[in-house]
Amino acid sequence: MSETTFMGVPRNKIDWKPAIDYSKCDYCMECVKFCPHRVFEVRETEEIRLIVRNPHNCVVFCRACSKICGPDALSFPDKNATTLRIKEIRKEMEGHD
Amino acid sequence: MIEKYAILPCNGLDKCAGVISGELAIRLCESGKNELICPVFYRVSESRYNKMANVRPLLVIDGCQTRCASRLAAEKNLKVSKKLTITEEAKNHGIELKSNLRLQDQEKALVEGIFKELNEEGEKVIMAPVEAITSLHFEYETYQFGKFLFRVPSNPGIYFNENDGWAYIYGNHARVGVTDFVQQNLSDILYFTPPEIGDEIDQFGEAGDIESSKSVFELISPVSGKVVAINEELVKKPEMINENPYEEGWMAELELTDFESDKELLIGFEEYLELMKRKVQELNE
Repeated sequence: MSETTFMGVPRNKIDWKPAIDYSKCDYCMECVKFCPHRVFEVRETEEIRLIVRNPHNCVVFCRACSKICGPDALSFPDKNATTLRIKEIRKEMEGHD
Repeated sequence: MIEKYAILPCNGLDKCAGVISGELAIRLCESGKNELICPVFYRVSESRYNKMANVRPLLVIDGCQTRCASRLAAEKNLKVSKKLTITEEAKNHGIELKSNLRLQDQEKALVEGIFKELNEEGEKVIMAPVEAITSLHFEYETYQFGKFLFRVPSNPGIYFNENDGWAYIYGNHARVGVTDFVQQNLSDILYFTPPEIGDEIDQFGEAGDIESSKSVFELISPVSGKVVAINEELVKKPEMINENPYEEGWMAELELTDFESDKELLIGFEEYLELMKRKVQELNE
């Protein structure tokens, strides 16, 4: 389990997760071994052997898996846009209080 | 000037970045002032290089983020004085690496560019921090979980983000670092890679990273600003983060850009303490 909110905003409202570029990924699975939040899932019998299984477990603003990715196959959404969106959602939530 | 270094490159032969690291290592050793460690031979014959690696400062050159050379250094318990990663250097130089294994003009230019920068580095004037504070002394609330003790500073002016970073605000400046939660999870920290002085960092941008044999952690900056100082001592002794990540273990000092706006997404020590307790418990479930 990971935190279900980030700065008071429900985690599932924040679009922050790794995207896998399958043209670069060599299925070394270093990201799977690295991420303690079980964001990725290995599917040994499928053609696409790695997927983002639990996007909402991904720690908002963490990009550490992309740093250990040898083939540079992982990318993340724009950080500033995400920050702005979190602030907007917080304002919307205040409006409903 | 890079002189009297032991150079440990990745030297991977199946990727352009690996070939470049090998080439850069050779370039640095051509002058006769540095010595090369062959990573392949080092694996099978420690004695050949151990003495050299322990008496000379060590420069580790990783090709890509797999960081084979760094891992080898960690495996052999070597103290790293400096390290760089070719894929990151290529990005900094605006060069897109392809799959070619023989160096073309752009890769040769990259080798020369990095070589020149490394040699100029010692001559750079380090910008002195404005209104620098020499040392910090905090009061702590603590949380004990099994044999692990987690401290959270409770002084006014301390803020946290939910990414386990802290910022101590004074005037228009902030010192930033990681919390006890991070250092306890990483266990023995072997490397600290600071941000560059002069870097403009956004809130939640990267402000340096630390690495142990278990994992890598990037400090997600709680505040936005320009880096005006880094903790040079920490580069030499990254284990200071394990001893105390708040006082002597600070990582960078920033001149703040827009703290009023940043504050909106920061929390105080009481809130962070509760969050950290939940994280510790979850990790041990």
